[in-house]
Amino acid sequence: MTAVSHVPPNVLPPFVQKFAPLLRRKWFRELVLTPPTLTGHRFSNKTEDYGVFKPSWIAHIGQVSIYVQDIARSRRWYERLAGLRHSRTCEEEAHPFKEGWRIRCCYMSAGEHDECLVLVEERDPEGKVTVPSGMSFFHTAFELEGNRLEDVIAFAEQAKQAGFVPNYGPVRHNGEPPLGDGETGGNVACYFYDPDYHNIEFCAAMDTIENYRARYGDTKGSARA
Amino acid sequence: MNAHIGMAQIAAAKLQHHVIYVSDLQRSTDFYTKLFDLQFSALNHPDSSAAMRLAHMEMHFFSFGFYHHDICLVKHHKLKMDNGSMLHFSLVARDRTAFDAIRQRAKELGIPTRDGRLIASAKALPGGRAFCLQDPDRHWIEIIEEPSK
Repeated sequence: MTAVSHVPPNVLPPFVQKFAPLLRRKWFRELVLTPPTLTGHRFSNKTEDYGVFKPSWIAHIGQVSIYVQDIARSRRWYERLAGLRHSRTCEEEAHPFKEGWRIRCCYMSAGEHDECLVLVEERDPEGKVTVPSGMSFFHTAFELEGNRLEDVIAFAEQAKQAGFVPNYGPVRHNGEPPLGDGETGGNVACYFYDPDYHNIEFCAAMDTIENYRARYGDTKGSARA
Repeated sequence: MNAHIGMAQIAAAKLQHHVIYVSDLQRSTDFYTKLFDLQFSALNHPDSSAAMRLAHMEMHFFSFGFYHHDICLVKHHKLKMDNGSMLHFSLVARDRTAFDAIRQRAKELGIPTRDGRLIASAKALPGGRAFCLQDPDRHWIEIIEEPSK
């Protein structure tokens, strides 16, 4: 199959990717946030300013299905970079909500998560495969085995050795140097574009409800922005 | 360690969170919090986040109650979202009571549902249940009660 070359509009240009590590520098973040600081509109994005948590009715994400142009190409990518395991690829079937359209599904599994990712080739009534738009989801994230900061660093190095280039990271989504980028959640993360430019995060060590208070106490986010 | 493929020594363990584009953050926040009882956990805004300011985006974070965030809704202020890159995502209910509560809440909110799994080739759930619905941006969501729950 010949895939169509399409770069979705939300994909970071290589020039921007090169400068993205500057977000790990507080002076750069302050520079970017100068307008809201000067106008008095700036506020904290940190969790403790909102006061959570209690269990919701949902336990976890079960599955994500994404459109791909070429199952074989995408399968190789997820196997090589993410270490996902191919569970099964099905025969074509009717599209679940587009009359006359067809889909073919490839089910991929992670170490602790059976058939968590579905690679879907979608064909219109003429048999033409869909080129993913890139504008349905910003990214989807896998937690890495080990779930420690060191595992993300090692994963990024392992990816680099295999020829994969991240579009962002490794960073830590908080304000703590040297990896902190001022974002939220505490997860250490690196991001890669898959062959259809789906943005895939590999992360670990996200803050949990229990360790969040232990880490930050009652310090307001605005006090440690 | 991962033993099933040659290249990756450190591999993905599981899906952890998912970040979807929406066209109206408040409308979608109302939808997800009311329907699934999700907990709002953070707001990243161009006036609070350098990355969001550079990317022209605003993101609402939601927790299922253990991790800081599990689902995030993001509005791109320069680009238009669509349904052209994702077929669906599924959410696993905490237990049987939660599954029934979500279905009842969907009914109360007037949200149309369809029973069963969305994709015909998806694994059957002997002893479990599933139903599907669409969010305000027509993202398909599958709600699952796992057999073991």
